[in-house]
Amino acid sequence: MNPAVETLVVVASLVPALWAVVLVVRDKGVDLALLVGAAVLELTVIVQLVVGIVLLVGSDRDIARGTFLGYLIGAVLVPPAGVAWAVGEKNRYGSTVLLVVFVVLPVMVLRLHQIWAGPLG
Amino acid sequence: MADATGSTDAATTRRGPGRVLVAVYGLFALAAGARSVVQLTTKFNDAPLAYLLSAFAAVVYIVATISLARGGATWRRVAFVAISTELVGVLAVGTASVVHSSSFPDATVWSGYGSGYGFVPLVLPFVGLWWLRHTRPPRDGHA
Repeated sequence: MNPAVETLVVVASLVPALWAVVLVVRDKGVDLALLVGAAVLELTVIVQLVVGIVLLVGSDRDIARGTFLGYLIGAVLVPPAGVAWAVGEKNRYGSTVLLVVFVVLPVMVLRLHQIWAGPLG
Repeated sequence: MADATGSTDAATTRRGPGRVLVAVYGLFALAAGARSVVQLTTKFNDAPLAYLLSAFAAVVYIVATISLARGGATWRRVAFVAISTELVGVLAVGTASVVHSSSFPDATVWSGYGSGYGFVPLVLPFVGLWWLRHTRPPRDGHA
C-alpha cells in the first residue's frame, strides 16, 4: 500500500485521538474541533479507498483481494458511523466513541499494509 | 419526564459507558460481517464449517449491537441471549481452532479466542453480560 497514504491516514487519526483523550479526561462531549478531525480523517480514508482500488486493479499479485477491499470500504464507513453514534452522548462517553474510532483506523491501515505485503511479506 | 412504563429504563443499555460498548460491538459486527462475506463469496468450499461459524459470529455481533442500542425489557433479553451465545462461541471456536487448527485455515473472529483482534472478542462478552446486569431495572422488568 502507498506509504504516503498510510502516513496520511495514521496522522489524521492520531492527532484527533489526542484531542479526544483531553475531552474524555475533562468529561466533555464531542466538540467542533473533534468533528473537524473526524471530517479530515474521512477525506483521507476516501483517498485511501481510491488509491487502494487503483493499486488493486493495476496489480495481479496473489494477495487477499476481497479482504483488502473490505478493509478499504470499512475504513470509509467507520468515521461517519462513529460520529453519528458519538454525538448522542454529551459527555466523556461520546468522546470515547470517537477515540475508539481514531485508534481503530491506524490498526486498519496496518492490516491493509500487511495484506498488501502478502503472505510472505 | 417520567413516562409510565419502562421508557426511562429503555435507553439505559446505550447510555454512558454503554455508548462505548455499543460502538465496540458495532465494530465487531462490521469486522465479522465483512470477513464472513469475503469468506462465503470467494472460498466457501475451502472450509465450509469454519466459514459458517464465521457467518454465525457475524450474526451474533449484529444482534448484540442492535439489542444493546435499543434497550428496553424485550431487547435486553435478546441482548442476553446474543451475548451468552457470543461467550459460548468464542470459547468453543477458540478451543476448536487450537485443538483442530487444520479445520480453520484462516482466522475467523473467534479463532484462537480472538487473538487476531487483540483478544477483545474474549473480553467483550464478559463486559456485555456485566453491563446488562449493571443496568438491570430494580424490579427485574418482566413486562
